[in-house]
Amino acid sequence: MHDWIAVVRENLNELDLPAEQEQAVVTEMAAHLEDLYEDYLRKGLSDAEAFQCSLEQATGLRTTRRKIRRAKCKEGLMNSRTKTLWLPGLATLSAASISLMLLQQFAYLHPEVWQKDGGALVVDLPWLLLLPLCGALGAYLSQRARGQRIASLVAGLFPSIIMFAVFCVLIPVGVLVERNQFIIHHPTYFMLALVNWTVIPALLLFLGVVVVWLRSADREALPSRAS
Amino acid sequence: MNAQIPSKIARGSAELAILALLNEQPLYGFQIAKHIEERTGGVLRFTMASLYPMLYELEKRGHVKGSWESNEAGRDRRYYSLTTVGKKALAPLRREWRAFFHALDTLTGFSHA
Repeated sequence: MHDWIAVVRENLNELDLPAEQEQAVVTEMAAHLEDLYEDYLRKGLSDAEAFQCSLEQATGLRTTRRKIRRAKCKEGLMNSRTKTLWLPGLATLSAASISLMLLQQFAYLHPEVWQKDGGALVVDLPWLLLLPLCGALGAYLSQRARGQRIASLVAGLFPSIIMFAVFCVLIPVGVLVERNQFIIHHPTYFMLALVNWTVIPALLLFLGVVVVWLRSADREALPSRAS
Repeated sequence: MNAQIPSKIARGSAELAILALLNEQPLYGFQIAKHIEERTGGVLRFTMASLYPMLYELEKRGHVKGSWESNEAGRDRRYYSLTTVGKKALAPLRREWRAFFHALDTLTGFSHA
């Protein structure tokens, strides 16, 4: 009777995993070696030959320690949520912010479309027209990382989600702390600004997301049509 | 093809082979390696060093789930079964590979060779 646990331990050394998890890995691999050895015996190999052949598989484990540790750790260097949600979302936010900054700096300036009582609602039309591209970028990056539809939606709408949080939490808190009389007495401006910076951009970003969804649905349908 | 080849193609094909096999029935590591070798006439072969890191990776992604059960000989073995997420991942993977082979065949005509 061979001690397969010892064989595995000798080849894997320490995995730096929690003891229970490490024990499970070692037991599982020892069981594999045992099955392999018995399979070699059934094929007609002698005990020594079967043991030798099984040992050869075990020595291959020396190169896999890192891969096993990485796979067994709860989170990799970059987890799935980071790849499918946070990074694509950040890309959308950066694209939307940088394009707005560049347009304001070098090109088209705010046209004031509605002005009353010292307040103004501004619409950056060229920037709004760029937003479908930004939304598409986030959704595409999310889908490329095999993100689910909800992840690509959130990634595509990320700038609007951030702005919505700003309008719903930060600005009301700021208004109350500073006792901003203008906003307190002109809630319509606040609501219009909310629509201007959150709802309209969200609709345009969503347009880009939908385009990516439709394109990926087309691509998925192509091979099945071809076959 | 050897599953140890450090390329995306080898890795992807190994992933597809495991997921497709587990879609039929839950199996433990040795059985997975054995089934793949037998059913591909020895063309695809998994060593322990290539099989287990991949199984653990698939488990981490939620595509497969491992659980200890007794086999027909009464020994405890860790059986892997395909999860709902794994089933969902298998369909596009199959489509991608079908498209890949179709494209390669169109280019090289290997199916007529």
